Amino acid sequence: MPYLIYVVFTIGVLATLLLTLGGAWAPQAAGMTLTLLGALGYLAFKAETARRKLTELHRLQAAYDQLDQQTKLIIRTDLELHRTQEELDRRLASLMSLYQLGRQLEVSLRPDEVFSKLDASVVTNFGFSKGAIGMCASLDTLQWCSLIGVSETCAESLKAHLTASGLLKRVLTNPAPQMLRALASLDPAQQRLLDLLQVPAAVVAGIMPHSGPAGFLILGRTSAGAGTSQADEELVAILTNHLAIAVENSALYEETWASRRELERKVQERTRELAEANAELLRLNKAKSDFVSSVSHELRTPLAAIKGYASLLGSGQFGRLATPQGERVAKIEKHADLLTQLITNLLDIARIESGRVTMERRVIPIEEFLGAVHDVIQPQLQAKHIRYTVDRNGVTALVGDPQHLPRVFVNLLSNAIKYTPEQGAIRVGLKREGESILATVSDTGCGIGPEDLKKLFQEFYRANDPINQQVRGTGLGLALVKRIVEAHQGRIAVTSEKGKGSTFSVTLPAE
Amino acid sequence: MTPQVVAATVGWSAHRQAAQAGADAAASAMERLSSQGPPQLAVVFGSSWFDQRALLQGVRSVLGEIPLAGESTAGEITSEGPVSHSCVVALLAIDGLACGVGMGTGADRTPREAGQRAAFTALQAFGGGRRAGLLLFGDGMVTGYAEVVRGLQEVLGTSFLLAGGMAGDDLRFAETYQYCHGEVASRSVVGMLLGGSARLGVGLEHGFAPISKPRRITRADANRLVTLDRQPAASVYEEYFGADIVRQMREEGLNRQGIAYPLGMQGDAADQWLLRNVVSFGDDGSLACNGELREGAWVQLMIGSRELALEAARRAAQQAIRSLNRTACVLVFDSAVRRRLLGPRHAVLEIARIREVVGPSVPIAGCYTSAEQAPFDAGLSADQLATQPLATQTGSVLVAAIGV
Repeated sequence: MPYLIYVVFTIGVLATLLLTLGGAWAPQAAGMTLTLLGALGYLAFKAETARRKLTELHRLQAAYDQLDQQTKLIIRTDLELHRTQEELDRRLASLMSLYQLGRQLEVSLRPDEVFSKLDASVVTNFGFSKGAIGMCASLDTLQWCSLIGVSETCAESLKAHLTASGLLKRVLTNPAPQMLRALASLDPAQQRLLDLLQVPAAVVAGIMPHSGPAGFLILGRTSAGAGTSQADEELVAILTNHLAIAVENSALYEETWASRRELERKVQERTRELAEANAELLRLNKAKSDFVSSVSHELRTPLAAIKGYASLLGSGQFGRLATPQGERVAKIEKHADLLTQLITNLLDIARIESGRVTMERRVIPIEEFLGAVHDVIQPQLQAKHIRYTVDRNGVTALVGDPQHLPRVFVNLLSNAIKYTPEQGAIRVGLKREGESILATVSDTGCGIGPEDLKKLFQEFYRANDPINQQVRGTGLGLALVKRIVEAHQGRIAVTSEKGKGSTFSVTLPAE
Repeated sequence: MTPQVVAATVGWSAHRQAAQAGADAAASAMERLSSQGPPQLAVVFGSSWFDQRALLQGVRSVLGEIPLAGESTAGEITSEGPVSHSCVVALLAIDGLACGVGMGTGADRTPREAGQRAAFTALQAFGGGRRAGLLLFGDGMVTGYAEVVRGLQEVLGTSFLLAGGMAGDDLRFAETYQYCHGEVASRSVVGMLLGGSARLGVGLEHGFAPISKPRRITRADANRLVTLDRQPAASVYEEYFGADIVRQMREEGLNRQGIAYPLGMQGDAADQWLLRNVVSFGDDGSLACNGELREGAWVQLMIGSRELALEAARRAAQQAIRSLNRTACVLVFDSAVRRRLLGPRHAVLEIARIREVVGPSVPIAGCYTSAEQAPFDAGLSADQLATQPLATQTGSVLVAAIGV
């Protein structure tokens, strides 16, 4: 554009010069004047266009500035949102940390273990950069348990200052979290605490379970101006409550654990005493068996002599006896037999108990076995007209000692006959049950009372029964039966109902 | 010829005791690698909360004397996502792999010399063979990192691929640590030179977009932004953020507001933006940033969103693996401020996006860093790479893929 102004100016000067000269130069001057007018018009057009563009530019500049102003507004709003977001993120992290810490504290078994759970992740998630937690046995003692971002030297200085200034006592007396900020109005002791920790802001709190002071907590922020807020105090209060509850729980656990240990110790002690008593009983039992065995042996010889001489007297070899004398001698013989049986049983029991007798394991055909038993009891059965039945159920043999095993059944059947009234019934049942043979002896006798059932297999025990008062017995029969059965690795049991009869069940290995 | 063994494993442990965490993480990685052969190198990322020396001793007690590099973190990364207060160990076994690890100390006092020393010792340990690139493990507290990079480039060449992350300490800005074999140091730079049959692919993205009017940097001094359009830089910042927010930022240092709106310094290309976070405010109205600023450059406030950030992670992963035939493992150097910006749920999604790209069979190890370092477009040839500006920034995600 400026060049066009120069051209117009030059044309104007030339046209004026030619007009001044006049004459022949007039037509050229007129042409130039026309050109000049054209150029001036073009210039005016261009000036208008430029003016419009400038106006548009000013408008765009204003819009640009307006947009920039709006950008500022957006930025400021967005910054506030960021601030809120950051605060929310921090609160979320704190709550997550509290949750995780709570789960860890659930399994903490000792107070020092509780305090050691405070680690770097808890401190940073709470938005702090330093932390220390310690145990307090009293209001003026402190022992650090966990240091995060705090050196040992710094921790020692903090401890010395806290106890010397009485700050520890103040915090433990009023354990609610307290904000400390580096302000001119801050208590000098608290300011010193911040200085030692090298932070501009910190929160101190006591950990106070119901049992008394347990701990002291300090959390500090290194960034200047990042003071603690009320929300921080509340979160720290939740944290210290968590810790206080965990300390209480751990103390309770410790107490329970100690009680349990004491109980276990007592149980072990009693068990040991019982074991010793049992060993002593076993020793005494063996001594008793040995004594019985020895005494029985010693009794047998004179008893044989008594029986021998009574038999000789009764046979009349030394002269015929008067009837009363004969009756008395017969009684001597009968009682000698009874005594011999008693001694024999006692000896057998003693031998079995002492392990001096080992049971043979031979296959005894069932026909042979039952026949032998039947031969023994046949006279008694006939005398009382008792119906005797055997149900073999396919059992063909028993495995056991041919000398001792029949005694079991003879004994059980003799007892059954003894307690079964005339015309009664006795049944022997045999049955294979897996790897065992179950033999039962059932009668329709008077039955046994429940109080007697428990003691039935004890030595010398006789049921308090009218029949027992009439019928003589040694009280060793069932005891011997039990020992013989057990020596065969078997079991014996009895069920009975008063007035209806009894059933003795003997389980023996089948092979 | 394609190497027969191209394997990598990652082990992780969150044991409370540093030595045990290190030993457990290393043992876990070793156990998985056992059928593939002995490991040839290890990369270790350890939480800044651990006793660093005990941690490294634990790792070395299992791995022995193999080349090792690593750093402390502001959070660790595994294939499953972000983790915290833990140790991550990545082991690599590739037939024909060449590796050298070196360290340069005093990066805060003599940054260029530290870079030179790290590169030189790594080269010495490397020996001969083709060189693929250098993985950097720097100190997040050292602000003038451009000088360290210059030192490295003076030894390795300007067209050499340098990529890595600066160690973190959970945004406490107190002390970070670098690991070199069995040594733990601060204010240092550790370089792991890779080569032989191995190749290194790198992708760097941030996903931020400009939102404000562009302003020209009229005065800057290293990482200090003094004036923008001849006005104090802080006043321009205040104009957008408002006085209250700026007051909070002055008090709190780097906060979420600051990291949500970093400054973007325009690179040579129109779509290249170097991110700079304001870490503190000067009394003279200047702004201290976490990276160098160039006078005359245009800056704009940048805006990010979670979706843009996730998309950036996906693009970075794509860039990283595009030059590799087979990827053994992926190392992720992700900005700690980015994790804070994304929040817990989206931070998991970010790693999931990377895993979607690299495939589920490729192990991922990584950490959250103070800053990330890589060329703007690392997938270019060596000649093109020489012209690419190196980006040292905070707020980006750097994916480094190692393979053949």
